[in-house]
Amino acid sequence: MGDVHEVARPRIATSHLAQHIGKPVCFVGRVEKIHPTGKFFVLSDGEGKHTTVELSEPLDEEISGILEVVGRVTNQATIMCMSYVQFREDKSPFDLELYNEALKIIHEFPEYFPFG
Amino acid sequence: QRARSQNIVPCTVSQLLAAEQVDETFRIHDVEISQVTIMGIVRHAEKAPTNILYKVDDMTAAPMDVRQWVDTDEAGGENVVVPPGTYVKVAGHLRSFQNKKSLVAFKIMPLENMNEFTTHILEIVNAHMILRKTHMSASRVPQSFSSAGMSDMGSYGGGGSLPVNGLTAHQSQVLNLIKNCPVPEGMSLQELKLQLHHMSMSTIKQAVEFLSSEGHIYSTVDDDHYKSTDAD
Repeated sequence: MGDVHEVARPRIATSHLAQHIGKPVCFVGRVEKIHPTGKFFVLSDGEGKHTTVELSEPLDEEISGILEVVGRVTNQATIMCMSYVQFREDKSPFDLELYNEALKIIHEFPEYFPFG
Repeated sequence: QRARSQNIVPCTVSQLLAAEQVDETFRIHDVEISQVTIMGIVRHAEKAPTNILYKVDDMTAAPMDVRQWVDTDEAGGENVVVPPGTYVKVAGHLRSFQNKKSLVAFKIMPLENMNEFTTHILEIVNAHMILRKTHMSASRVPQSFSSAGMSDMGSYGGGGSLPVNGLTAHQSQVLNLIKNCPVPEGMSLQELKLQLHHMSMSTIKQAVEFLSSEGHIYSTVDDDHYKSTDAD
């Protein structure tokens, strides 16, 4: 689904959006709200901060729970979604707060978890 | 002083792509590595008569080619193609052909619990930090990178529930026996039971299952015989 999947996509939280304007990213969050048109939705990250995700085509399915979005950060600090995947939680719930802690670590030690 | 990693190193695809190659060996932070694990989402799966080719994406670079050889004697069952969109854990060997890196997998398992992915991220940072320090101090490389950096607590009798270097005492004992077995078809479960008389068969089987899923051992002639993935 386009070139964004062939390059590094840093894993970020809402607080990192500003530093990644125009860049491909990977965002994991919990579905909070879906716009009635299905053209955008809101995800919360492990710190509870919200990010708006836009789609080029309206959603054609129900989404809920934890989503991993791959896309590009827009000038408005939203994410233009190129693809998404729902994390399975049939056996265990996903600990989003722990994932956020892991993000802090990989941002602190990029030499041990390089993107690109 | 050249250091060689004796175990399976969790890595990102970007680290594998950046690994330096000298003849047939690969190095990260100047430590030789061979067996690695990656975790990512299957983007593409293609089944051929003798192998399945996957493209596994962990977001750190473009998806990596992962080849899994199919056991052609096996009647169906064993090698089922993992569908695209599934998160998997891959254990395998790094290879390079015509300057393109790929993995030859000896184990590909769908993730059932996505929290394992978070743990994997942390294990990568931990393992590579240790690799870097190991190279700098030229000291012994620890047995396994799956622990949270706990120091070697020496021998530990009985119990077996406290993990040392990522493996419990029971798992370590089973692994050591399998590693030291010189027979080509590896060590059988019956042999393990004979040698580990203090362990019940079900404990041994649990240990074998864990070691196998972590990539430390693999089954050979049948599900009762195992060899260590550590080629010495």
